[in-house]
Amino acid sequence: MNDYRCNCGSLVLESPELMEVLIRLNRLGRAVRFHLGHIRRQGLCAVSGGGASLGLDPPPVSGLSVLQAVAHWERRFQQCGVSEPGPSSQYIIAHVLGAKTMANLNPDVLTEVLTDKQTQRVWELCSRRLSRMPVQYVIEEWDFRDLTLKLRPPVFIPRPETEELVSLVLADLRVKQASSVTSLRCLEVGCGSGAISLSLLHSLPQLRAVAVDKSEEAVCLTRENAHRLGLQDRLEVHHLDVTADAEVVLRECGPVDALVSNPPYLFSQDMASLEPEILRFEDPAALDGGADGMQMIQQILDLAPHLLTDRGRVYLEVDPRHPELIQQRIVEQRTAGLQYLQTHYDITSRPRFCVLQKKAET
Amino acid sequence: MSLLSMALCRTTVRQALRMHCLQKHGCNLHTRSPAMFRTDHLYTDEGTIYPNRLFQRRRGLHGSRPLMATNILSVEEIFTKESLRNYLKKVNTEYRDCLKSVNSPEGKQNCEEDLKRRSTRVAHLAPLIDYVKKLELKQKECEEIDALLKDEDPDIRELAEIDKGACQEAIEDLRQKILSCLIPAEEVDESDLVLEVTAGVGGQEAMLFTAEVFDMYQNFADFHGWHFETLEYMPSEIGGLRHATASISGPQSYKKMKFESGVHRVQRVPKTEKQGRMHTSTMTVVVLPQPTEIALTIHAKDLRIETKRASGAGGQHVNTTDSAVRIVHIPTGVVSECQQERSQLKNKEKAMKVLQAKLYSLKLEEETNKRYQARKVQIGTRGRSEKIRTYNFSQDRITDHRIGKTLHNVKEFMLGEELLEEMSLALQQFSEQEALMDILEENASKN
Repeated sequence: MNDYRCNCGSLVLESPELMEVLIRLNRLGRAVRFHLGHIRRQGLCAVSGGGASLGLDPPPVSGLSVLQAVAHWERRFQQCGVSEPGPSSQYIIAHVLGAKTMANLNPDVLTEVLTDKQTQRVWELCSRRLSRMPVQYVIEEWDFRDLTLKLRPPVFIPRPETEELVSLVLADLRVKQASSVTSLRCLEVGCGSGAISLSLLHSLPQLRAVAVDKSEEAVCLTRENAHRLGLQDRLEVHHLDVTADAEVVLRECGPVDALVSNPPYLFSQDMASLEPEILRFEDPAALDGGADGMQMIQQILDLAPHLLTDRGRVYLEVDPRHPELIQQRIVEQRTAGLQYLQTHYDITSRPRFCVLQKKAET
Repeated sequence: MSLLSMALCRTTVRQALRMHCLQKHGCNLHTRSPAMFRTDHLYTDEGTIYPNRLFQRRRGLHGSRPLMATNILSVEEIFTKESLRNYLKKVNTEYRDCLKSVNSPEGKQNCEEDLKRRSTRVAHLAPLIDYVKKLELKQKECEEIDALLKDEDPDIRELAEIDKGACQEAIEDLRQKILSCLIPAEEVDESDLVLEVTAGVGGQEAMLFTAEVFDMYQNFADFHGWHFETLEYMPSEIGGLRHATASISGPQSYKKMKFESGVHRVQRVPKTEKQGRMHTSTMTVVVLPQPTEIALTIHAKDLRIETKRASGAGGQHVNTTDSAVRIVHIPTGVVSECQQERSQLKNKEKAMKVLQAKLYSLKLEEETNKRYQARKVQIGTRGRSEKIRTYNFSQDRITDHRIGKTLHNVKEFMLGEELLEEMSLALQQFSEQEALMDILEENASKN
C-alpha cells in the first residue's frame, strides 16, 4: 500500500505534463456531466412546473405501493429543487393515508398498493407542493406541541421555536397560578393560527386568554381552531391592529398577567432572501418587522406597562440580534416601566426569547 | 487512534474473551453475531463494553446452567434442604438479637444510626419470623394429627383425615410465603420499562420476524392492561422492522418483561423464500427499566441536541417540516433519536425519555456490577449475544434455552397472551429460585 503511494507520488512529480492532461480530462468530464444534468433538470421542470401552474398535472402513475410513491415524489421534488424533498413526500403521503408521519403507519401498509382514490389525492397534493406551497398548507394542518392546528395561507405557520416560547410562559404561569386566588389572564399580540394562546389554554385549564391580530384571516383561523379544540369559551379574539388601534387595545384587553407575542421580527432587508415557500405564501405582515425588525416589538414594549398587572411579564420571540437591542432601549428609556429579566436560548442555542417584567408601582 | 486500529482492538478484546471462555467452560459462549453490533450505535466506541456488559449482571437467568433448568424444585423440596433450615435459624437469631438491643436500655445508648438500622431490620424480618413461627405450630399440629390417624375409632380417623388435608394446605401456603420473603425484591421490579427490538442476522426475514415480535409484546401489554407507546419505528421495505422502541408502563410490567432481553431465534420457511428452504434468523430484544424522575438527573450542559434547524437563521426565517430530534449525552456518548411526531418539541420529549432509560440502565448496571463482582464471575462472559429462545415454526414449538422449557403452538404464543405469560412465569420462578439458592449458598460458605 505504502509502496504504491510512493510510486504514484514520484510519477506525478516527474511528469507535470501528464498531470496537466489528467486535470483537463477531469474538468471536461465535469463540464459534460453538468451540462447534461442541466438539460435534464430543465426539461423535467418545464413539464411539471408548467403543468402545476396550469392545472395540467402529469397523469398519476397507478399501481404504486406506498413506498414507491414516496420515492417517486421525493425524486420529483428533488429534480424540481423543492426544499426538503424526502420529508415533504413522506408527510403528504402519510397524511393521505390518515397518519401524521410515516413512522406512525403500520408497516404492512407500506408495501400495499395505493388505491386509485389515494393516488389521485397524493398527486393532487404533491403537485401543490411542486409550486413550492409549504407542506403545512398543502395538508392544511400541522402539529404544535400537543395540538393539531388547521392552517391555511396566508396565515403564518408556527415554527418549532415558538413551542419553546410556550414552555417558558407555561412554567411561569403555573407558579403564578399556584399562589393566585383568581384565574390568570394573558394577551397574545399577533395570534396567527392561535398556536400560542390555544396551547396555553390547553395546558392551563384555569387560564383565560385574549388574542388580537390585524389580519382578518388570522382572526378567523384562530377562532376556527379554538372551536375545533373546544377552547373557545376561555378565549376572546379581536380583529385589532396594536399600532393603529392602540387605544382600543388598552381599553379592551388589559389588565393581563402575561403578554405573549411572536411578532414580525425579520429585518426588511432580509425579506427578499427568504425561501419561496415563505415569500410566496405567508403573509409578509407577519414576518417583516421593519428596518431593524423592531417595529412591532417597540410597539408592544410601549403598550406593555399599561396592559400588565403589577409584576406581569412580557414574553417575546425575537431575532438573535434583538435581545441586546431591547436591553439597550430599556436602559435608555428610563420611564418605560419595564425591567429586562432574562434572555432564553432556543434548542439550537441562539438567543431567541426575551422576558421582561413590569416594575411594581410604588 | 485510527478506525482500523480501533476495530482491531475490538476484535482482540473479543478474541481474548472468547479464549477465556473456552478455557473456563470448554465451550464457545461468546460468539457474537455481526448483527449484534448494530446495537453498538447506542454507545461510543470506547463504550463498546457497554452492550456486552449490559443486562448480564443484573439478576437474570444465568444461561450457563441449562442443566438446572430441568429441575425447578418444588417448595417442599426446597424445605428439605439443610441450608435453608440453617439460614432460617440464623435469621431467627439475628431477629432476636436486634429486637433485644432495640428494646433494652443498653441498646438505646448505642449510637442512633445503629439503632435505626436494627429497628428497620426488625421491621423487615418481622413478617418472616411470624410465618416461621406459624409454620412450626402447624407442623406440630400436623404431627398430632398423624397420631390421631392411628386411632382405633374410625370416626376420629376420618375427622383427622380432613384436618390433615387442611393442615397440609396451610403448611404449603406458609412455606410459599416464607420463600417469597426470602427472595430479595429487585429495586427496579416496580418500574416501567423501555422495550427495544432490533433485527439481527437474516436480512428481510429477520426484519419480518422482528415486526411480529414487536406486535407480540404490544399484545402482551394489552393482555395485562399496560400502557404501550411506540417511541421509534424504523420499518423495512417489505413491511418488516429494522428497529423499534416502545415505552411500556403498568403494574409489574418490568418484572414480567425483564427476561425477554436477549437474542430470539426463528426457524421457518420465510415468506420471501421461493424454494421452500428453511431459514434461521435472529432478532434482539432489550428491556430497560424506565427511571422515575428522582432516580436520575441529567444535566442540560451534558446534552447535545441536534435538529434540522441548526444551520441558518432559524425562527421566522425558515420553514422546515423535518422535526426529527437527536440527543447525544456527551459524557457517555449515549444517543437517542425520535422522528415519530410532527412537533419538534414532542420528538424531543420522546427522545429524552429513551435517553433517560438508557442512562438509567447504565447506572443501574454499574451499581449491580459492584454488588455482584465478587460472586458469579462466570456471568461476565455472557451477554445479550446469547440466544435465549427459539421459535421453530415447522415443529410448532417455542423453546426457552435458559430453563429448557418448550411450549407448543407458535401462533398462539405470538398472540402475546396465556402462552407467553406461562413462559414468563416459569422464567420468574426459576430466577427467584436461583436467587434464593445464591443466598443460601452464600450463607453456607460463610459458616
